[in-house]
Formats: sequence, structure tokens, C-alpha cells
Amino acid sequence: MRILLVEDDKMIGESVLDLLRAEHYAVDWVRDGAMADTALCTQDYDLVLLDLGLPRRDGMDVLRTMRARRQRTPVLIATARDGVAARIEGLDAGADDYVLKPYDLDELLARIRALLRRAAGRAEPVYEHMGVSIDPATREASVNGQPVQLSAREWAVLEPLLARPGMVLSRAQLEEKLYGWKDEISSNAVEVYIHGLRRKLGSGLIRNIRGVGYMVPKDPS
Amino acid sequence: MSRPVDGSVDGVRRYSLRARLLWFLLAAIAAAAAVQAFIAYRAARAEADAIFDYHMQQMALSLRARFPLSIVPGVADELGDAEGFDFLVQIWTLDGTRIFRTAGPQLPQRAVLGFSQERVDGHSYRTYAMQGGVVVIQIAQDMAVRRRMAGAMALRTLAPVALMAPVLMLLVWAVVGVSLAPVARAQRQLAQRQPEDLGEISEAGLPDEVRPLVHELNLLFGRVRAAFEAQQSFVADAAHELRSPLAALRLQVQGLQRAGDEATRGRMLERLVGGIDRASRLVDQLLVLARQQAGASARVVGQGPDRARGPGPWQPLALAVLVRQVVGEAAAAAQARGIDLGVVHADELEVQGDAQALAILVRNLVDNAIKYTPQGGRVDVELRRLASSPAAAAGGAARLLVQDSGPGIPATELERVRDRFYRIPGSEVEGSGLGLAIVDAIAQAHGARLVLRASSTLGGLCAQVDFPLHAGEAAGGDRSP
Repeated sequence: MRILLVEDDKMIGESVLDLLRAEHYAVDWVRDGAMADTALCTQDYDLVLLDLGLPRRDGMDVLRTMRARRQRTPVLIATARDGVAARIEGLDAGADDYVLKPYDLDELLARIRALLRRAAGRAEPVYEHMGVSIDPATREASVNGQPVQLSAREWAVLEPLLARPGMVLSRAQLEEKLYGWKDEISSNAVEVYIHGLRRKLGSGLIRNIRGVGYMVPKDPS
Repeated sequence: MSRPVDGSVDGVRRYSLRARLLWFLLAAIAAAAAVQAFIAYRAARAEADAIFDYHMQQMALSLRARFPLSIVPGVADELGDAEGFDFLVQIWTLDGTRIFRTAGPQLPQRAVLGFSQERVDGHSYRTYAMQGGVVVIQIAQDMAVRRRMAGAMALRTLAPVALMAPVLMLLVWAVVGVSLAPVARAQRQLAQRQPEDLGEISEAGLPDEVRPLVHELNLLFGRVRAAFEAQQSFVADAAHELRSPLAALRLQVQGLQRAGDEATRGRMLERLVGGIDRASRLVDQLLVLARQQAGASARVVGQGPDRARGPGPWQPLALAVLVRQVVGEAAAAAQARGIDLGVVHADELEVQGDAQALAILVRNLVDNAIKYTPQGGRVDVELRRLASSPAAAAGGAARLLVQDSGPGIPATELERVRDRFYRIPGSEVEGSGLGLAIVDAIAQAHGARLVLRASSTLGGLCAQVDFPLHAGEAAGGDRSP
């Protein structure tokens, strides 16, 4: 899952960046509103972690512009603006959730998972499909009740596919979920991880749509 | 005047204007009434005396008109029987034979012609005797009777005074009450006030004697309100600004908890120390700013020049020495960044001020210049005496200039950068946004002015602080060649 981190404070930014990467999210970090806007125009994100007090362009402005573009990406505001009015304004402007600094990292991660889950159109915390179940909170996967060890990269490829069965994701889209801006991408990385996943979970789960991409079928057939 | 104040000034001499007015006015009325009554009584008595004397004289005259014609000895008690007749009449012939007398006490049979006093049986009598042809006629009147009648007359003249005095007192009481009602209203308004209510008291309907007082009070309320609001917004800002370092600390600690290997742990620890340093720096700067602003507002509220004007004691300071010392301290940081830092010129002069605060002022300006100037840049510090000009104080001014070759501050931001916590958008340099706010506060507390503009010589920012020099200080500190 790819997250855009918008945070002007250097110390907070580098800590959150490290911690989110440790949770296997692909994270891009921008430090002002204008750059956030540019990033949102050029890249597809699964979630935006947005600070409000930003140089060059206020976070609220970034949020409104983004919603005006009909971008439906979940937005989690993380700010020091604690007034009830500020929270209401943020949520009404199109934010999906609001946390106050200083926040607890575990809570932040749980809220991120909840937003990603909702964005995938589901309420249940564990993804289960065709005998394969994954729990994003605990990072545990199992096939027919048997636990399976997945690498971080395999997880990053499997989660978006399993989140929305029936939806085809291109190789480029899957690569985006894997890497932040500064990461090196090897040309056949996605194929390598798909291969590993098929080996561990069974070959029927992930289908290759030639020339288009990969999908987890909606109905097993 | 408010109730709580009343309670706290027990033991201090206090008085009520209203009570004092009432007491003095009522006492004056009472005294005036008493004096008037006394004079009226005396006058009534004297008048009564004159009238009775006149009566006695007239009576004697009317008797004399009768007696030479018919002397009828032995006819006595004729007149004396008449009830309520207060006069005693005796008539003698020239040879001393009494031929007439009224009933009642017997007066001695001798007569001094004209008016005189007689005492008989403990009573005092006023007598009038006159010779008329062959008889001597004496009319006498008991003084007690006369006094009684005179007293009654006097009392009748006193009645209006006695009646009017209480009426006058009531009137005075009412007038004083009505006149002081606006004061009482202002007092009630103040007494009912909540501590945070610093709104104005209505000046409408107040008498000229009290309006200036209430007006000054309202001005004071205004100043206190401004200071209070500044303090509140400062606290709010400070709390808000403390959130970021705290959020960073929390994340850094959680990062440390999750660190798997030694290398990561070391990196996280380093970050945590950095975070703690940053939070402490911010707290330090907040304290400095709060102290300086308290000093500045204490000055504004109008302490005398001799009172403590800031947190530190004021003393004459050799500013050049202080500037060289601060620049010396900053030299290492400048060298580390390859910046040419130096004092171009320093006039020896003395300013009045708090040594610690002024050192912070110079240090903040120099540190700022070093921070924002790129590698290989230049920072010049300059201290000059300005001759007295219309703008400066009588003794001239001292001008401190800190110029750098950095990117400077855009004209649109020049005024805002001195707001606390304001940081220029997109600024890459780490900072709390308090440095220039502190400089500004210290300058204000010292009656100096901070001006920011583009440096004409180095192209970056030029920070200029003009300190007023008083005439005496200029002469005393004049050691420049």
C-alpha cells in the first residue's frame, strides 16, 4: 500500500517515514502543501497522511483541491490543531479521520488500516478469500487454516489484490505499492513476488490477465 | 470601592464621601439653626422687654391723666381684681400717702423715678415710676411673668427654624444621595465583575469629578485586557508549538522500541537526543520571551525609570565589549560553516540595560545570520554612535547592525518574521520561529527599535537595532577616538 506523508516537521517526518516503512508501506514524504498537491496529481496513493499547518499551501487547501479533483483517496489528518471547529472543518472538507499530535503510533497505524479497509469496501478486519486469509493488523497469513510466512514485498503485492477481488491491477500499479520514490526498482520484481505467492498460496489464487495485469478472481472457478 | 477591597483595607483609614458630606452638611445646618435660634431668642426677649416697658410707661401716663382731677383715697383693689392683670400699680401722693394699689404682692413704698429693678420675696420686679402733678405713679411687673411671655414670643419666632432644619436635612440627604448615585452605580458595576471581565464601565451620567477617574480606570482596563489577551494567545501558541516537539519525541521513542538491530537502535537514540535538545531549546526560548515581554509590559504600564524594568537589573553596559564577546562565542559555529564572521566597527559606548538580555539579543541576531547564510558567506557586525538627530533621543543613539550575505527575507515577510512562531514558508533551516520575536521583545524593553531590511552591502538581511543614548551616558561613555 502506498502512502503519501505530508509533514513539514523534519523530526516527525523522518520518524513516521521510518515507522511506516517498517510496517511495509511504500511511503513518499513531502514537506509542503504545494509539493503534496503535485504528488497527488502525479501518483496514485492508497492513503494520505496530512498535516494541516504547512508552508506554501495549507493542508486544508490541499485537501479541498484534491476532493475538487474527485480524488477519493482516504485522507487522515494528523495535526496539532485541536479545536473542535478545526476538526469539524477538516472532516467536512473531505477528510476521513483526524488524529491529534502528539499521537500514538499504534493508534495511527490502526486508523490507517481501518481507512484502507473501508476504502476497499469492507468492514471485516481480516481479508478472507478462497481459503486464503490475511490479517493486516497482525501481518499473519494462512491457507486453509495453515499459517504461511510471507515476505514484506510479497505481502505488499498480495494485500491490494486480495482487498478487492475481481479488480485487475497492472504491473505498474503493483510496483507503486511496493516502492517509494527513492527505492530502486528491478524490472521483473512483481513477477518474482507473484511467483513466490503462487508457490506459497496455491497457483489458483492470483490470475494473470495477459497484457493487462493481475487479479484475484471474485468467484472461484 | 468594591466590596472585596473594602474588606482588605480594614485598619487603613478610610471614609465615605457620602457620609462625610452628610455629616458636615447636617452639622452645619444644626449649628446654623442653633445660632439662629439663640439670636432670635435674644432678640425676642429684648423686643418683649421694650414692648412691656413701653406698656408700663403708657399705663403710667394714662393714670397720670386721671389723677390730678379726682383723688379718691382708699379705692384699692379695683384694678387688681381683673383677672390676668399682670401689672402692679401703686399711687402715692407727694407726701407719701398711698392712695391706690392693686392686689398682689406689696412693693416697698419708695420709688425711683423712671425704670428700675426691685426684689421682693425672692421675686424680681421691673418698675416704672413717674410723677404726675400731686401723685407718684408706680407700675411694676413680675419679671418671671415677663420672661414667660417673652419666652413664648421668642419660641414662636423659633418655630419655623426648628421645623425647617429637619426638612433641610432631609433635603440635603436626598440631594447628596442622588448626586452620588452614579458613583454608587459604577461601584456596583465593579463589584459584580468577574475577574476576567475587563470591559469598560459606562462613563455616561457621571459627574465631572468622577469621570476622569473612571476614564483612567477604563484605560487601565484596556491595557490590562490587551496584556491579558497577549498572554492568552502566547500560552495558546506556546502549547501548540510544544506539540510538534512532543509528537516527534513520542514517535522517536516508539521508533526506538521497535528498532530491531543495534545500528537502527543507535540511529534512533541519536534522533531521540536531537528531539529532546529541540524541545529544551524551545522551552528555553519561550521562557526568555515570556520574561522579556513581562519586562516590556511592566514598562508600558508605567513604572518609574528607577524601578526594575525587566527581569535583570539595569546597569550601564559597554555594548562594544558585549558585542565582541558574543561574536567570539559564535566564531566556532561560523567557521564550521565556512562563514566569515567579524566585527567591522565598534564605537565604545554605554547603554543602560540588562546585560543578560542584551547578550541574548546580539546572540540571536548573529546566530540567525550564521544559520541562514550559505557556506562561504559573510556576516558583518557593526556598532556605531549616531549623532543626535530629531528621531533619536537627546543624547543620540547607538546603532547595532548585523548584516549577512544570505538569501535575506522577502519584503512581504519582513514584518511578519518578528511574530512569534512565524517561520518563512519553505524555510529549510530548523528553528522555533522565536528568535526575532525575542530580539524584538528585548529591544522594546530597552526602548530600542528593531528594523529589518535588505542589506545594501552584503545583499542578505540587515538587522538594525537603535538604542537611545541619554545625554549623560553619551558624555560618560564617550571614549571613542
